[in-house]
Parts: sequence; structure tokens; C-alpha cells
Amino acid sequence: MAYSDKVLDHYTNPRNVGSMDKNSQAVGTGLVGAPECGDVMKLQIQVNPQTKVIEDAKFKTFGCGSAIASSSLATEWVKGKTVDEALSIKNTDIVRELSLPPVKIHCSVLAEDAIRAAIGDWKKKNGVAAQAEAHAPMAKAGD
Amino acid sequence: MSVTNKPEAALQMFDEGAVTHACWSCGDMRAAHFCQSCGKLQPALPTDYFTFFGLPRKLNVDVAALENEFYKLSRKLHPDLYARAAGQERQWSLEKSSQLNDAYRTLRDPIARTGYLLKIEGVQLEEQSKAATDKARQTGEEKKQVIPPELLEEVFELNMQLEEARINKKMGERDPELLREMEGTRNDLQAKHDALMDELHGYWNEWDALPEDADESLRKPVRDKMVGLLNRRSYIRNLVRDVNEVLEA
Ligand code: FES
Repeated sequence: MAYSDKVLDHYTNPRNVGSMDKNSQAVGTGLVGAPECGDVMKLQIQVNPQTKVIEDAKFKTFGCGSAIASSSLATEWVKGKTVDEALSIKNTDIVRELSLPPVKIHCSVLAEDAIRAAIGDWKKKNGVAAQAEAHAPMAKAGD
Repeated sequence: MSVTNKPEAALQMFDEGAVTHACWSCGDMRAAHFCQSCGKLQPALPTDYFTFFGLPRKLNVDVAALENEFYKLSRKLHPDLYARAAGQERQWSLEKSSQLNDAYRTLRDPIARTGYLLKIEGVQLEEQSKAATDKARQTGEEKKQVIPPELLEEVFELNMQLEEARINKKMGERDPELLREMEGTRNDLQAKHDALMDELHGYWNEWDALPEDADESLRKPVRDKMVGLLNRRSYIRNLVRDVNEVLEA
């Protein structure tokens, strides 16, 4: 499979590899997997409690080159954004930036999932409602 | 819906008569690959792999019998036999030979066969995952990971260990302690993998026991169980592969 130059660049020179203390109040952790291929990705963010700006991001991905590049790019993109701004990053943005072929789209989905999961985790920790409305847990009506 | 009366015994029979059309050459009824009357090769039709072999959509497959059928058909469909035949027959033999290879490769492997059946039953794993992400984006709700979070944690941790072991290996260090640990890990993973395969065979039996005309409400639960299992398995398979790689001298 021929990787694009941008994928190769992130792959050979990944930005922000590493990990943060997942117990820290300011850190949100997203751990996600792609069952299509069995790859896993962890993405962590550190958020400024006052400004809600993501000040740092780290990732660790066990997976294909496109997944590594997607998560590396994701950490670059979320840095400096507020958590709400970061939620607007779409997998299709990653696909475009890295010129991913159709078979590698799920790798970019994985990166978007990781961003969302990390932000969701941070929100939960910090008592920020994921959504305006509070949804009461309701048993699904029997099928 | 008309009820197809497929006899129970068809389970392991390669019933080439399952699909019948009129033979292009003599007009009589033909089987999937050759006319039953005049024996002429028939056009290659788009067909699923089970149908290609005249098999019902069942998951317990007698692989030895499948192999025999494969060899028999590859001889009979071999393009060399049609080198001097009319253009269309030569073309069909090429197309059918390639269908045959794909069908055999897929059906002989338990995992590929299961995945294939799910696919032709309309399960679109990747589409589902993408749709779930779209939904999370729109509603702000969390996307539910399709495999249990504990398994993800475990997989991630094991990957970390494997990476360390791989680095050690590259540096020419063979830490006996670590290697012993890895052996243990390999055995655990293998046991897990075996257990998954047993579980899968259970679902195969459930699927195969469904009546021919079973409706969605019966089919879906079994399909879902198989999807969940294949999902979990892909992680275990990767780990088994990586552990073996590390342990290789
Ligand atoms: S191949 Fe699965 S994440 Fe890239």
C-alpha cells in the first residue's frame, strides 16, 4: 500500500507520542479500538480548567501507519483549541489532510473517536454535561 | 414467501442442481456450472460463494468434502480445457475458475467463512462504526465502543509490554525473565483464542439450526453474537501474532 507523503511524515516522525497521568483532574483519556483490524489507540488531552483550552495532547497507537498518522495529526490539531472547538474535528478532515484511500477511512474514524472519547472523559471528570439536556437512563422498550 | 423445500440431507451435499436455468446451448435445464443434459459449461453468473458450491448458507462446512469438490471443479473448469472452445465458453471458464478460487479460499477458513456469511446477510461492520461516529458527532452523546472497555485496556497494556520486548530484542537483549513472561502471555492468549473459537462453533450450530424461513427476529440475535465475537477476536489475533513475532529467535 502506498502511503501519502504526509502519512509517511507523521509515521516516521510522529508528534506527541507519550502518555499523561490518567488520574489527573485536568487530563481526559480516550481509549478506542477498530475491530475491523484490531488496532488500538489512546489519546490524552490536558485541559486548562479556566479557559477550557487543550494545552497539551499525547497519543499512543498500536496499529497501521494511517492510524498512527491520524492520531499524530489529531494531537496537533486539538492543541490550542477549546474542548468544544476540538469536537468539531471530523474524520473526513483527517482523510483530506492525509489523502487517505477508502480502505483507510476507518483509521481516521478511530482518531475522531479517540478525540471524542478523551473530551468525554474530561467532561465527565469535571462535571461538564456532555449535552444540554439531562437524559434519564431509560430502559429500552422491548423489541 | 414460498417455502423452499430443501431436504435436511442437503447440508453437506454439493448440490450443483440448486440453481437451474435453461442451458444456453441445448435449452434443457442446467446445473450451476454444467448443463445436466448436454454437459456444456454455463455462463459465470454473479453468485455468492455458498451458492457457487451448491451449499446452503450454513456455517458448519465439511472442509474435506469442500476440498474434494474444489479440486474436482478446478479440473473441470480449467481454462486449458476450453482453449479451443467458443469465445464465450473460454471466457466463462476463466471467470468461473477465478470465482472458484475466491469461493474456496473464503469458505475453507472458519473466520473468513463466518465474516463472509455475515456480509452477505447484510452486516456492514465498517458502515456501522462510521454511522455510530456520525451519530456521536451530531448528538454529542458518547459512541459506545463495540468491545468491552476492559478488553481494550488489556489489549493496550499487552501491546505496551510487547513493544518493550520488541525493543529489547532489537538491542540484542534477551531478558530471560521477560521472555518467560511472554511465554506465559502467549499461552494465555492462545487459550483465549481457543475459547473464542469454541464459542463461535456454538453460534454456528445456532445459526445452522434456524429453520430455512426463520425471520429477522430469530436471525439477528445469532448474527449479532457472531459479529461481537469476530470483533473481540481481531484484537486477540493481533496479539497472538505479535507475541509470536517477539518470541521468534
Ligand atoms: S488498518 Fe485499522 S486502524 Fe488502520
